[in-house]
Amino acid sequence: MVAVTARTIVKRFGATEVLRGVDVHVPHGGFAVLVGPSGCGKSTLLRLLAGLEEVTSGEIRFGDRDVTRLAPRDRDIAMVFQSYALYPHLTVRDNLAFGLGLRKTDAATIASRVTEVSAMLGLDHLLDRLPRALSGGQRQRVAMGRAIVRRPQLFLFDEPLSNLDAALRAQVRVEIRKLHDQLGATSVYVTHDQVEAMTLADQIFVLNRGVVEQVGPPREVYEHPRTRFVAGFLGSPAMNFIDGVQVAAGGLALPGGQTLAVRDPAPFGAALQPGRTVSLGVRPHDFVVRPDAPDLVVDVELVELLGPELQIHARLGGALLTVCLDSQSGVARGDRLPLAVRALHLFDPATGLSLRA
Amino acid sequence: MFIPLIVGAATSLFAGRPGEGYYVGLANFVEILTARGGPLLATGSFWFVLLVTFLWTAVNVVLHLGIGLALGLVLSRPTLRLRALYRVLLILPWAVPSYVTALAWKGMFHQQYGAVTGLIYAINDWFGASIEPIAWFSRFATAFAANVATNVWLGFPFMMVVTLGALTAVPADVLEAAEVDGATRWQRLTRVTLPMIRPALAPAVTLGAIWTFNMFNVVFLVSGGDPDGSTDILVSEAYRWAFTREAQYGYAAAYAVLIFLLLLVTTRLPAWLARKGAGR
Amino acid sequence: MSPSGQGRKVSLAESIGAHLLLVVAVAFALYPLLWVVSLAFSGAVEPTPRVLPVPLEPTLEHLRGVAFSTLEVPGEPDRWLFGLQLANSIVISLATALVGVVIAVPTAYALARFEFVGKEGGVRALLATQMFPAVASAIPLYIILDGLGLLGTRSGLVLCYATTAVPFAIFQLRGAFETIPRDLEEAAMVDGATRFEAFRKVVLPAARPAIAVTALFAFMSAYNEFVLAHTMLGREEMYTVPVVLQRYISEFSADWPKFAAGSLIVSIPVMILFYIAQRHLIAGLTAGGVKG
Repeated sequence: MVAVTARTIVKRFGATEVLRGVDVHVPHGGFAVLVGPSGCGKSTLLRLLAGLEEVTSGEIRFGDRDVTRLAPRDRDIAMVFQSYALYPHLTVRDNLAFGLGLRKTDAATIASRVTEVSAMLGLDHLLDRLPRALSGGQRQRVAMGRAIVRRPQLFLFDEPLSNLDAALRAQVRVEIRKLHDQLGATSVYVTHDQVEAMTLADQIFVLNRGVVEQVGPPREVYEHPRTRFVAGFLGSPAMNFIDGVQVAAGGLALPGGQTLAVRDPAPFGAALQPGRTVSLGVRPHDFVVRPDAPDLVVDVELVELLGPELQIHARLGGALLTVCLDSQSGVARGDRLPLAVRALHLFDPATGLSLRA
Repeated sequence: MFIPLIVGAATSLFAGRPGEGYYVGLANFVEILTARGGPLLATGSFWFVLLVTFLWTAVNVVLHLGIGLALGLVLSRPTLRLRALYRVLLILPWAVPSYVTALAWKGMFHQQYGAVTGLIYAINDWFGASIEPIAWFSRFATAFAANVATNVWLGFPFMMVVTLGALTAVPADVLEAAEVDGATRWQRLTRVTLPMIRPALAPAVTLGAIWTFNMFNVVFLVSGGDPDGSTDILVSEAYRWAFTREAQYGYAAAYAVLIFLLLLVTTRLPAWLARKGAGR
Repeated sequence: MSPSGQGRKVSLAESIGAHLLLVVAVAFALYPLLWVVSLAFSGAVEPTPRVLPVPLEPTLEHLRGVAFSTLEVPGEPDRWLFGLQLANSIVISLATALVGVVIAVPTAYALARFEFVGKEGGVRALLATQMFPAVASAIPLYIILDGLGLLGTRSGLVLCYATTAVPFAIFQLRGAFETIPRDLEEAAMVDGATRFEAFRKVVLPAARPAIAVTALFAFMSAYNEFVLAHTMLGREEMYTVPVVLQRYISEFSADWPKFAAGSLIVSIPVMILFYIAQRHLIAGLTAGGVKG
């Protein structure tokens, strides 16, 4: 088990700069998730950690070892690929044993490790099958097993769940986290799925266009997004944004003429200067019904029942808002809905940075 | 792989018998292209042979594609009985070594005891007609037809199999969508199926055209150029200059170079034009 | 799912039409083959024109005549000529397949995986060699072999065949290597393999079926080749089978039954091989064509 440090990583492919000075630190035994939209550079970063690509500049250290220029096989890592990359001509058993065999491990050790890992993952009855005779979920398990059996210093995961159906994905997600806790290995996990990021990570790294926009524990990144991009990327349904909001004396001047009072202005400090234009962000779940003293009133255009909750599409002046309420709240189309805001976010319209001090 | 090409190109600049060749520059090419001073379209001149070759290629490719496509479409019908059997039987001609095929067809067109003559006798018997057995290789049209029959037999399975392969890539729901949109069967075929298999067929057609253009075995073994070299195509003509007419290697090599350039230009031209168009 | 989505509209007439078309096509496809078969077993001395390809006075005499032809050398015991010629064909074809695959595997892998200067040009030049007709290359090959002193030898013929087999094999294998995901090699390298180990232990085994088919085709193209063998081989005991068969019906003696019998003996094994390999060939041909 080892801490991973990457400093000022730059990666160019020809003229395209995919990573523009990225810093990553994952402590010994930590679970880091790299998340971002496609093309943000997260997979490239993972491949750099694996040694499958070479950095243009920067430094990668595993513990106190400089691995920047080492070949993958000298880094003592294991990787789970999105496609699983199971060797099609080898049985499950031989797939699991492949890496150990290359390292000249003796046959008895290989056999006992394969047995141990296949018991752990429930692969015992599949050992003599070829990959093409396995279901998607089983292949995924073999890919995991192939990584675990090596007992590497570092686990790398490249979107390992994206080829599974939704139910299986949730189940395997839980298993991955349990395995991590059980093995105590350092893990770096790439995904574009923000649910995976939120549930798995000790530390989330949100990447966008080749830079890390924010690093932190899931709760912190979710509750205090440092940029508008992070605020919009994490959370489902996505945060509502209202642009071009004027700061007035009594609060924020909303489209349609209403004014939203900021109950706790302290964190924003000097940013709430009257006359300034800001972008307002409110998560759909941060609205509550408040008939007696509403912060704002919206016009309900469509109500979707999602089981435990209602997803309400409403209009506020020219802006469209998504509001999530308890399914018992009895809202119907055409209602004028009085709402209070539990938490709000303000962003600089030019830089996208949060105005929270 | 490239050495024969280079040696071939070099040889085309020499004249004379092997071992006593002397450098003549482009004289071989000049002689070929001017038909050695004779009339440009006389039998055996380069231009005549070229014309025959183009006719040969065009007729064959059209028939290959037509028959192959039709059979492929029929065979791809999911409700057809005995599909697997038909498929195996129809691929057989492709599996037979082509020299065997060519020689077998030559035998079938034999004037005295070929199977085609047998067929003519049978027709005479049944219908009381009195068709004379045809001396297939004594007239250009019949000799050419015999060559084409042989080569069509040889080549249609390839197009059929390519069509079958391409058709598996046409998803059933696209055809169903067209059906829901009100397309008739014919419209589904011409507006959906054919455009969708075109990309897969195009390279196969190019390949088939090149093969046919260079189909030495059939011409050499079936008609042997008869009558009087008129059914020869460029490759068999080149071969004749090299190995049967006093080994005029230089002259034959010049023929080979011309064939190569012709193919290169005709197959590269579309791509080259497309790139030039896109560059603008 | 559309259970018999097409089926419900197929009328009887249509289905009869389809079968009629297919039966005619099958008749066209099989007739020459049956003609050869019937000729091979016909005992009648003078072939007569007939419609139905049924052997008259069935006999195995022609088959025996071909298979047990002997070479008479004065002062020595007779040698089994047909066996010798068949062995020529097989040895030459095996050597062609071996040379083709050994050269094509590393080349095709490099083309599929690495970027290097001149790659595109090289691929195009390779394609261009395919347009140089085999017959036309007979001339330079003849001159080259003459220069090397290999004219009329079996190794010379293998060299000739390799010049056409190699480019074709490269195209086939490049397509095959391109379908093997890079992930597999990367997984192997993460698992501790060197680049070469990843190639040897993962890529090669995964490409084994494609390599087998490529070798099979190189073998068959050499086994079925007529023109070059006809041109390059001088002595009877060097002949490959196609030359032998053609000589049965040369201008001087037209022994059709013997030709037919010989054709049967040499064609049936390759027809079976061909049928096994044919599916793979198509995929390779069309894929290679699109990319080239």
